[in-house]
Amino acid sequence: MAAQTKMDVGGIVRPAGRLDPSNALSPHGGRLGGRAAAHLLRRAGFGGTPRDVGRVAQLTATQAVASLLVLTPASAVAPPPELLDGERPLRRAAVFTLQSWWLNRMLTTPSPLQEKMTLYFHGHFTSRATPRFPLITYNQNALFRQYALGNLRELTRRVSKDAAMLIYLNGAANVVAHPNENYARELMELFTLGVDNYTEEDVRESARAWTGWQVNRRADLVSFNPVLHDGGRKRFLGQTGDFTGDDIVNIIFSQPQCAKFFAASLLNWFVYNDPEPELIDAVAALLREHDFELAPVVGTILRSDVFYSPRAYRALVKSPVEFVIGAYKTLGLSELDYSALPALQQMGQRLFFPPTVAGWPGGQNWLTSGTMIARQNFLTRLLGSQTLGSSSWLRGLPVAPASAAQQLAQNLLQSDLAPASFVELESYLGGKGSAALASLSVENYDQRVSGAAYLAMATPGFQLN
Amino acid sequence: MRRRNFLLAAVSGLAVVANPEHVFSRALAQAPLPGLPGSEGRCLVLINLYGGNDGLNCVVPYGDDRYYQMRPGLAIDRSSVLAIDKRVGLNPGMRSLKALYDKGMVAIVQGVGYPNPDHSHFRSTEIWQTASPGSYQHTGWLGRYFDEAGLRQENLFKGVAVSKVLPEVLVSDRTDIPAVPALNQYSMIADSNAVARDAFSRQARDRRLPFASPYLAHVMEIEADAQSSSEELPKLIAGYKSRAAYPSTGLGRSLALAAQIVGSNLGTKAIYVEHGSFDTHVSQKMTQNQLLLQFSNAIGAFYEDLAAHGNDRRVLTLTFSEFGRRIEENGSRGTDHGEASPLFLVGGGVRGGLYGTLPDLSATNMGNLRYSVDFRSVYATVLERWLGRPAAPVLNGTFQQLPVLA
Repeated sequence: MAAQTKMDVGGIVRPAGRLDPSNALSPHGGRLGGRAAAHLLRRAGFGGTPRDVGRVAQLTATQAVASLLVLTPASAVAPPPELLDGERPLRRAAVFTLQSWWLNRMLTTPSPLQEKMTLYFHGHFTSRATPRFPLITYNQNALFRQYALGNLRELTRRVSKDAAMLIYLNGAANVVAHPNENYARELMELFTLGVDNYTEEDVRESARAWTGWQVNRRADLVSFNPVLHDGGRKRFLGQTGDFTGDDIVNIIFSQPQCAKFFAASLLNWFVYNDPEPELIDAVAALLREHDFELAPVVGTILRSDVFYSPRAYRALVKSPVEFVIGAYKTLGLSELDYSALPALQQMGQRLFFPPTVAGWPGGQNWLTSGTMIARQNFLTRLLGSQTLGSSSWLRGLPVAPASAAQQLAQNLLQSDLAPASFVELESYLGGKGSAALASLSVENYDQRVSGAAYLAMATPGFQLN
Repeated sequence: MRRRNFLLAAVSGLAVVANPEHVFSRALAQAPLPGLPGSEGRCLVLINLYGGNDGLNCVVPYGDDRYYQMRPGLAIDRSSVLAIDKRVGLNPGMRSLKALYDKGMVAIVQGVGYPNPDHSHFRSTEIWQTASPGSYQHTGWLGRYFDEAGLRQENLFKGVAVSKVLPEVLVSDRTDIPAVPALNQYSMIADSNAVARDAFSRQARDRRLPFASPYLAHVMEIEADAQSSSEELPKLIAGYKSRAAYPSTGLGRSLALAAQIVGSNLGTKAIYVEHGSFDTHVSQKMTQNQLLLQFSNAIGAFYEDLAAHGNDRRVLTLTFSEFGRRIEENGSRGTDHGEASPLFLVGGGVRGGLYGTLPDLSATNMGNLRYSVDFRSVYATVLERWLGRPAAPVLNGTFQQLPVLA
């Protein structure tokens, strides 16, 4: 998600209560325990099985985060082989292939935080897929993965000259004779500074500095053509010089606002929406101190007291990707089924096709009656299909309704459900209201357990992160 | 009487049969909707032409030589413009709209904008949707209209967004408006399992959760609304049969659903629909012409359908777009973000014609057209003359009304 504050986007809500700024970023002490472990696995990844949660629950925040910060080297991640087979991949299938490939990677990667940050950058430095040239889209995705916890300034430079971005925001059409301002504007407004921190003149002058970058779509090659570049003097954010795009990025990152912008954005992504100015300032100071290296800053956030505070707990709305991957992951399923992609589209998150250059607005905006229906229907299908048989733990639930309900609530929701919901789970498992066999038994076990799992996952708690 | 039964009774005219097994979380015990003086049965359909519709290639100033000088690669040929008078005409794709114009059913307001234009899509969209150029507001102007008119929770379908995401214009402090992307995406499979459905609705009502979340109340409300509205809507509109051949485009499908909602008399006062994207930085001509053709054809079918059911005087359609575009074309045969542009009002209650002043291509603000009509004048007119509510509390100010409605 692009860095948004409450001022920018409706439907983004800060939790009630007050921040204690004095120790907000201090390391959280002691062993995590089940709820905090599940919270960390959801926020720094896409959730975990009961066994994953149990393992992390024994660790301290520092130990748990250290293991999350170990990333898969970019060279060890290969593109989906179908994309490389033959001269021209099937264009219509290419985006589908990419989406399935990435979702499967989110589900199975040994480095979930890396994929979580890749998803973050996809929503932040937004581009839309070019279905005719799928490698361009893949390469941008790989760039985000490579810089998942790398240097933000360097990533901003790289993404500015990335083919997908040059195409999406018309940078490739930006030439000295006829500047195109689209990228120059969004670079400041949505990617690095936010509105009201630059002038219209800054947009025009920055556009001049970005002239000359060209894309050969077929070969996925980006080149700089000095003939098409405006080498003249530009006045930008109070400085004057023969600036190039790299200079523009350096000047932007020297603005105190830039660190604040990313600090707010990261807090929105990991902790809670509309973070307090004091919290933003503290994270912005960390970003500057580490020269915009993300690993130490994200590590500090994920270890911090504020991250584990009750105010941050379930204080975010799960995005559709978090909801879908989280469901598979929590159930212990290791492969997506056919229903995931259409379900994501109906929930309002089609990977590689963000609705606007601002990415997905998030917060309350994820939940309308239409998208809620899509969420519930996804669960109904998932739990009604054969995938259930592959769940690593669901089939091992005890037959006694009370203990089965207890374990379902614990494993799916860390027991974050209302008393009435628990009663419903137990009586559903016990066969209340059903004409069929009254108590849970071998004959009705699968049908009954999957129905109860649906009821548990349909509760409000499971919609929240 | 519970809401569900009230709605069914209102539609069918039949006596209500109580069905105690369908107990939803917000079962209704409230009185029916209050009528709005002079506006009974009226509905506003708001079409967002998102991305920034270029006004000059939409309502074309073909009598002005400067238009052709400033847009050598982009201007619409004089010969193909659908002339309204000697100075302006419509984009050649808009034949259906022109036919409605010739019947006196279209008002074109030229040069609409707002003070101190912001060229950001997001801020500018927000300004048009919240009707608040000077400060940030979290509610939309139609959301405030619902609150102000007292149209709260009694009727789930007092407003409908035909979109995946609830647009800001329908966000309010006290009401929940369903976003219905399409009817076939609006039913719960679990509804067919009576045991699961009833269990779901019972558990969705218990608010004693062992954690606090700023989104909890919203999630619970949406869960309850999703279940009850998905059960109700298909039944409520099942009796309506469309009598026009809608184009098989996104907008065509959206307006077909809008006509069905209007024709089913659910008490719906506002329907939001979107069409785009008009963000034409490169190769604008083909893209925009195609989008305008789709827009015009869908509107043509919509009013044909409405008229066949006697509803064309009940529905006012209003378009908006976050801004127009720069007067001069850029180097990519496209245009960058601009300022003022025209908007359309369509319907049997419209006083057709051209309003506002013709854009002056020489009196510009850094290459942008200056606006001559504040967009809030249009909203004020719609609120007072169409929806029958005072505009000032909704718009936080008084704006001049336009004589665009009969």
